[in-house]
Amino acid sequence: MQKRNSVLKVTASMLRDYLVLVMIALLVAVTAIVEPKFMSGANLVNIMRQFGPLIMVSLGMTFVIIGGFIDLSVAGTINLVAVVTISLIQPLGQVPALLVGLLIGAVCGALNSGVILSSGALTQAEALFLTFGMSTVYSALALLYSHGSTMHFWDIQKSKSIFEAIGAGRAGPLPLSFVIFLVILALLWIFQTKTTEGRAISLTGGNKTAAHLSGVNISRAIVVVYTICGFMAGVGAIVLFSRITTAAPVIGAGYETNAILSVVVGGTTLKGGKGSVLRTVMGVLLVILMSNCLDLLGVSTYLQVVVKGAILVVAIWLDNRKQA
Amino acid sequence: MNGKAIGSSLYAIVTKQKAFIAILVMLIGMLFSHTNFYSAYNLLDMLNSTSILLILAFGVTMTVVAGGCDLSIGGILVVSGIIAIKLLDVMPMGLAILIAVLFGAVVGFVNGFLVVHQRTEPFIITLGMGLLLTGVAQQLTDAHPVPAKNPAFMMIGNGDILGVPNLVLIMAVCFGLCFWLMRYTQFGRNLYAIGGDYEVALYSGINVVRTKWIAFVLCGTSAALAGVLLSSKLNTGSSIYGEMTALVVNCGVVVGGTSFAGGIGGIPQSALGLLVFGMLDNVMNMLCITSYYQVMLKGIVIVAIIWLDCFTQKRKREFV
Repeated sequence: MQKRNSVLKVTASMLRDYLVLVMIALLVAVTAIVEPKFMSGANLVNIMRQFGPLIMVSLGMTFVIIGGFIDLSVAGTINLVAVVTISLIQPLGQVPALLVGLLIGAVCGALNSGVILSSGALTQAEALFLTFGMSTVYSALALLYSHGSTMHFWDIQKSKSIFEAIGAGRAGPLPLSFVIFLVILALLWIFQTKTTEGRAISLTGGNKTAAHLSGVNISRAIVVVYTICGFMAGVGAIVLFSRITTAAPVIGAGYETNAILSVVVGGTTLKGGKGSVLRTVMGVLLVILMSNCLDLLGVSTYLQVVVKGAILVVAIWLDNRKQA
Repeated sequence: MNGKAIGSSLYAIVTKQKAFIAILVMLIGMLFSHTNFYSAYNLLDMLNSTSILLILAFGVTMTVVAGGCDLSIGGILVVSGIIAIKLLDVMPMGLAILIAVLFGAVVGFVNGFLVVHQRTEPFIITLGMGLLLTGVAQQLTDAHPVPAKNPAFMMIGNGDILGVPNLVLIMAVCFGLCFWLMRYTQFGRNLYAIGGDYEVALYSGINVVRTKWIAFVLCGTSAALAGVLLSSKLNTGSSIYGEMTALVVNCGVVVGGTSFAGGIGGIPQSALGLLVFGMLDNVMNMLCITSYYQVMLKGIVIVAIIWLDCFTQKRKREFV
C-alpha cells in the first residue's frame, strides 16, 4: 500500500516537473487530429524555422535567470545589432559585418552587467528596471543610427550569401538556422553542465552569500551571464533579420517578454539557481507549437497574445507552488 | 573636516531628494532658455498631461510601499479605457465608467490573489498579466482605435473649471485621498509596516494578507480610472497606449524615492518622481530636441536614478 503511494507521489512530481512535455504531446496530438496538415513535412520545416530568433534569445536569457537576475534589454540589443549589422554589409562586407554585430551584442550585455555591478543591485526587480532603462538607450541608439528607417536586403549590392543562407538555406533536410541552433545548444549545454563557470552561475543564482563565502566569484558570474545574454540576443537579431530580409529599429519589440515566458514555461525557476538550457528548448517548443497550432486552427493573433499571457501567469503560479 | 561634513550632507540631500533636485535643475535651466516655459498655459498643460501618469503612480505607490509592484497597469489602462468607450453605446455614461473602473478592481484582486495569497514574484506575474490584458485590448478593438461618440464623455478629460483642467482637479482629489489614506489611516501605516518587514508585521498582529491585497485592488482601480480618463482625453480607446506606461510609472515611483525594498516613500514623493518625467518631456519639447534623443535621454535618466537608488541601498547595507 505504502509502496503504491510512493509510486503515485513520484509519478505526480514527475508529471509536475515535465508538465511542459505533457502539454506539448497533448497539443501535437489534438492539432494533428483536428488539422492533418500539421504533421506535413512543410509545416515541420516551418516550425523549425520559427525556432530561429526566439530560441537564441531565450537560451541567453536562461543563463541570466539561472544566475538569479533578469534582462529586459534584449529588445534594445536586437534593435541595435540588427540595424548596425545590415548597414555594415555594404561598406565592410558580410563577414566583418557579422562579427561587428555579434560584438555589439556582447558589449551591450557586458555594459548591462557593468551598470548592475557598479550600482550593487542584488535583486531581480532592480536589475529589471536598470536593464529596462538600458533597453531604452539601445533602442534610441538604433533609431538615431538608422534615422528611424527600415533597411532592406535588396538595397545591398554586395554579396550577402551568409545572411541569405541563415535566412532560407538548408543543410540536408534541415533549415540551416536550425542546425546553427543545435550547435549552439550543444556548446551552451556543455558550458552549463561541464564547466566550473557554469556551476558558478547556478551557485550564484541559488544563494549569493553562500556562493561568495565558498569562494565563487559572483561578479564574474554576473558579467558572464549578461555577456552571454547580450551575445545571444545579437545572434537572435541576425537570425531574425536574415529571415525577414529587412531590419527596422523596432524589430526586437516583445522579444524580452517572449524569451522570459519561454524560459519560465520550460521550467527554469525565476528564483534562480535551478534550470537548464534543455528546459528552455522545451519552453520555446511549446510557445512556437502553440502559435503554430492556433494559426492552423484559425485563431486570431490577438487571442494568441491572451493565451500567451495566461500561460505565463499560470506557469509562474505553478512554479511558485512547486517551490512552496 | 568641515568640507567633509558639507560633502556628506550634500550627498545625503542628493540621494534622498533626487527627483526634487532634478526638477530644480530643470526649472533653473529653463530660466535661461528663450522659450515660453514659464507661462501659466505651459505649466498647466504640463500638469494636465502628467495627471494620468500621476493617478497611475498613486496606486502603484501603495503596492511598492508594501513591498510589491504592479506592471499590469499598462494593460488595465488600455482595457478599461476600451471597455468604457464600448459600453457608452449601450448604457448611460456613469454606469459605463463604473463598470470600467470595477474591471480594474477585479484585475487588481486577481493580482493580489496571485502575489499576496499565493506569494508569487510580483513583477513577473504582473508582467504576464499585462501581456494578457494587452491581448484582450487588441482582441476587443481588432487593434484599431475605437472612437467615442458621446461628447459628454469627451468633456470629462478635456473640459475645465475656472481655467483649471478637469484632469488636474481629478488628480488633485486622488492625491488628497491617497495621501490621507497612506499617512493618516491604519491601513496606510500597516502598508509601511508590511513593506518594512513582512515577518515583523505578521507577528505584530497586522492582517498582512488582507492589507496588501487591498493595496493591489486599489492599484488596479486607480489604473482603470486613469484608463477611462485617458480615453476620454483622447476621445478614443486604443490598445497601443499602455505599451511602456507600466515600466515608466514604476520607474517614476522609484525615482521619487519610494524604494523597491519597501516601507519607504509615499504619495508626494511619487508625485515628484513622475513630475520629473512630465517636466523632462515638456522641457525637451520646448528645446526642440529630436524625439530619438528624447527617448535616449529618458533612458539615461531612468538608468542614472535607479543606479543611484541601488547604490545608496548598497551603502546602507555596508554601514550595517
